[in-house]
Amino acid sequence: MASAPTSKYNSHSLENESIKRTSRDGVNRDIGEALPRLPGETRITDKEVIYICPFNGPIKGRVYITNYRLYLRSLETHLEFSHGVRGLTTWSQLKDASLQDSALILDVPLGVISRIEKMGGATSRGENSYGLDITCKDMRNLRFALKQEGHSRRDMFEILTRYAFPLAHSLPMFAFLNEEKFDVDGWMVYNPVEEYRRQGLPNHHWRITFINKCYELCDTYPALLVVPYRASDDDLRRVATFRSRNRIPVLSWIHPENKTVIVRCSQPLVGVSGKRNKDDEKYLDVIRETNRQINKLTIYDARPNVNAVANKATGGGYESDDAYHNAELFFLDIHNIHVMRESLKKVKDIVYPNVEESHWLSSLESTHWLEHIKLVLTGAIQVADRVSSGKSSVVVHCSDGWDRTAQLTSLAMLMLDSYYRSIEGFEILVQKEWISFGHKFASRIGHGDKNHADADRSPIFLQFIDCVWQMSKQFPTAFEFNERFLIIILDHLYSCRFGTFLYNCESAREKQKVTERTVSLWSLINSNKDKFKNPFYTKEINRVLYPVASMRHLELWVNYYIRWNPRIKQQPNPVEQRYMELLALRDEYIKRLEELQLANSPKLSDPSTSPSSPSQMMPHVQTHF
Amino acid sequence: MEFSELIRTGQAQAELLRGPEMPPLRGTLCVTGHHLLLSPGPQATPDLWLLLLRSVDSIEKRVAGDAGTITLRCKDLRVLQLDIEGVEATLDIARSIEALSSLESVITSFPFFYRPKGLRLGEAWHFHPPERYYKRVARETRAWRLSEANEDFSLCPSYPRAVIVPRAVDDDALALSARFRHGGRFPVLSYYHAPSGTVLLRSSQPLTGPQKRRCADDEELLRAVLAGARPGARGFIVDTRSAQAAKQARMTGGGTEAKAAYPGWKRLHRPLERGRPLQESFVRLVEACGDPEQSMDRWLSRLDGCRWLSHVKEALSTACLAAQGMEWEGACILVHGAEGTDSTLLVTSLAQLILDPLSRTMAGFQELIEREWIQAGHPFQLRCAHSAFSHTRPKHEAPIFLLFLDCVWQLGRQFPLSLEFGEGMLLALFDHSYASPFGTFLCNSEKERCLCEVRTRTHSLWSGLNQPKEQRKLRNPLYVPNPLAIWPSVEPQSLRLWQGLFLRWTHPPEPSEVAWEKVWQIATDQEKTEGSQPTDSASEPQP
Repeated sequence: MASAPTSKYNSHSLENESIKRTSRDGVNRDIGEALPRLPGETRITDKEVIYICPFNGPIKGRVYITNYRLYLRSLETHLEFSHGVRGLTTWSQLKDASLQDSALILDVPLGVISRIEKMGGATSRGENSYGLDITCKDMRNLRFALKQEGHSRRDMFEILTRYAFPLAHSLPMFAFLNEEKFDVDGWMVYNPVEEYRRQGLPNHHWRITFINKCYELCDTYPALLVVPYRASDDDLRRVATFRSRNRIPVLSWIHPENKTVIVRCSQPLVGVSGKRNKDDEKYLDVIRETNRQINKLTIYDARPNVNAVANKATGGGYESDDAYHNAELFFLDIHNIHVMRESLKKVKDIVYPNVEESHWLSSLESTHWLEHIKLVLTGAIQVADRVSSGKSSVVVHCSDGWDRTAQLTSLAMLMLDSYYRSIEGFEILVQKEWISFGHKFASRIGHGDKNHADADRSPIFLQFIDCVWQMSKQFPTAFEFNERFLIIILDHLYSCRFGTFLYNCESAREKQKVTERTVSLWSLINSNKDKFKNPFYTKEINRVLYPVASMRHLELWVNYYIRWNPRIKQQPNPVEQRYMELLALRDEYIKRLEELQLANSPKLSDPSTSPSSPSQMMPHVQTHF
Repeated sequence: MEFSELIRTGQAQAELLRGPEMPPLRGTLCVTGHHLLLSPGPQATPDLWLLLLRSVDSIEKRVAGDAGTITLRCKDLRVLQLDIEGVEATLDIARSIEALSSLESVITSFPFFYRPKGLRLGEAWHFHPPERYYKRVARETRAWRLSEANEDFSLCPSYPRAVIVPRAVDDDALALSARFRHGGRFPVLSYYHAPSGTVLLRSSQPLTGPQKRRCADDEELLRAVLAGARPGARGFIVDTRSAQAAKQARMTGGGTEAKAAYPGWKRLHRPLERGRPLQESFVRLVEACGDPEQSMDRWLSRLDGCRWLSHVKEALSTACLAAQGMEWEGACILVHGAEGTDSTLLVTSLAQLILDPLSRTMAGFQELIEREWIQAGHPFQLRCAHSAFSHTRPKHEAPIFLLFLDCVWQLGRQFPLSLEFGEGMLLALFDHSYASPFGTFLCNSEKERCLCEVRTRTHSLWSGLNQPKEQRKLRNPLYVPNPLAIWPSVEPQSLRLWQGLFLRWTHPPEPSEVAWEKVWQIATDQEKTEGSQPTDSASEPQP
């Protein structure tokens, strides 16, 4: 736990950790080869290769490919850096002292692979010039060199392509083959009726409608929607004709006291001619009137003004002042999926494999990644502030209402409602605002799809998780979950081990019977909750969090984006570890104490006279020392 | 001198604005010899707001109509605004503050008048660092001795009375070596690394001059160091200047050790910036941090442009180099730059924190600062005369000590369990090094402190900080003694802006304070649980 000079910093600690995790879940191991296997995972092939490690150079190893993962174990022990200081080559012996022996392990779910390329040809010269180049979705690349004789890479290439991109080969994704069993069923975490009931819905102004039960009104919306009481189902159908992809304004969240709401939708179909729709106008006014005292409804269009205007050319647009008298519109200047994708690509360029060292901060700035984070957070803060101050209800949309809109509503809800800051609450938030409302995970991530250059791919959800991380940095006591929780969500966003993030919308998931045929990521997490808990969490009700969205207070999430680099000091947060130890010890003492108190119960008559524990976290702990 | 001569006006009505997060205060403003007071309302007792005038770095006044505004920029980087009724009053108060905050005399400064309750004069001046440290060294090796050759500060005015030197070298040889070194700072022991039996030394540059002079006693001194370590031991001289700068220094009488003259020693150059470039970097950073401009899209490149984090990186890298030389190479290390009172101390003190677990305890860290900074002659009075806001052209100011604290903060961030003290301690040291009611950081050297009788006439900061009520703020509740060396990562993305210091007054510190409080709760709960045996509590007689 305490850091040591000789403590081996293992560059692949994450993979090792996942082995430990899987073995705890009851994973089988191929005896003799120590290949971890999940229930339902089958071995396809193995091969001797040279892994061209960007940090430690070529390493000979054996690679195993299953229908779920690529697993490499080095044959010889290799050397790696155990410290962060470089440029010490003048110190001859130092080299030996600073490098540690250890077997290298790579454990890569095939789902993270975005592209497999052949490198070099049968006649290429030079050492290790013939092999495979693998681009991953999680900020790294892998390169393997093979023997040139006898097309040795061909079958590896074909098998990898087959199992990493099952869609193109009419194969099922691994989630459908996974036979893992957990004590907890993650599919039970989110129940929309219960979640709306928690929010106090339905009430006098808002009703639950089943109009979309068979996804007929809108095929990318969930079956269950909350709409104004005064709007009939016929009204909804007419409004749907005026909203892009029929994504009508529906309630996301209601303030428990002032009853202002966050409503989400897609852009109105205004077009070049400036079309209007009386039903849509009336509908928004009905939303406004659910709060009597409010005379303006606030509409946040997540896009930059120019983009919104440009969308008119393709039939879209935004709510004009003339048509919507009782509404005011603000643009939030958040860029589209293409800009975000390019920005992340630039981040990868400066952190992988080597970190751009000279002018690090300027290079980071030139990626604009943090600037985009800032704009998303700023937008969410504005939404949250409107609602919490009771100034007005808020309608949020972008173009289709499944990318930026999901970012804004979910972040605003996270700021407003402390429930979403718990582990289960956050799972519900993701399940509700992202998964059920049709964030196109399949298209944005490209699960099992070989088309790596698809223009639909974009790190929108990653950006949201980054914003959550920024918030958790600024409010260390406000979130029940820790960084590991956010990282495991991102890992399984790509892995295809769970059904949670598969497909683009609820209707598709229902058709594929995802909840019956796959395991939920929340099953894994919730049966292992302690690992994902933030020791500093202090439960607070009704506290609105306003993060500082200034560049000065945002930082690059090094533990995620640069986690593959062994030179980054990446300690498994020792503060947390220490805390867990302390907590375990305390629990043990408390247990012993309770036993003794039980034995002596008549002596302890009045608890108010005994000094109470200073801990707010465990109010039930009354220490009688 | 009477302070009253400098005080132009007794009092005025004013409103104090302390930044966006704090409510304004209204009341009667009053200037005394050492303080600015604001007493709110007629009640005699309630919160009196007090500012040590010494901590004012720059003052700006504006008048409009029949009122005025004074903006005070403090050395701890706080910006305060005073809205004062009456133009005359404003101008008088501004002039009084100006005059009183820039007094140069040490013995009229506030520490000589500060007599806090509960502390006795002379307490906690019990630190006799070289002597105490020598006891530690003597337990391990017989190769060193404590020399009092500098008893009257004649050998070296910036060294303490006692220093640790090789046993094989006598005081006469020391005197000759001192004459060959800039400011008389001959090589002395800074740290003995018991695990490898090697030592860290510090000195100033040798005065080789253009004729490449040599000094047999100086050469003998360094030879004796190697001989005392172990047969065949090697040494490295870490020069904190570039090879070119070291060469150029010959023109002005300085220079660097010639290879032939010091067999067994190898020279390495690791240039560290100090002096004006460092001060300018600090000023630019503070400017950037305090810029009220909202559109800070260029923040990162601006932060980059300040180069402060590069200085942090260089300082830590050089300290790592010195530490690695001892730990892994089994080599002796001599660190010096030109004068040996700035970058040199930065490197030697950081290297010790990396290697020596004792220096990471609360007491050990205080001793380290006392021994490696205060007694080692870092000219605090010159370096910390002004902080980042002063309009006057910097002469000797440089935030070397702040850079050290920042590096320690980075260590603490990377090794959250290994330091017994927390960020609060580092912030306190920063504040007190620039303006303090305690005498610890007064003057430039032991010699000056003796002349001013600092030890007998002022209170020590350590006795102030070691009071029980301060501990919760200063200590790291999660501390676990770590017997190993802590090697920091110096990659640019591992180093962060020290927000707790540079953004201390512009960002509500509340969330992190809550977290700190939480950590304390958990830790103290734990102690209580551990400290009392359940069996005892059960068998306790109940009323």
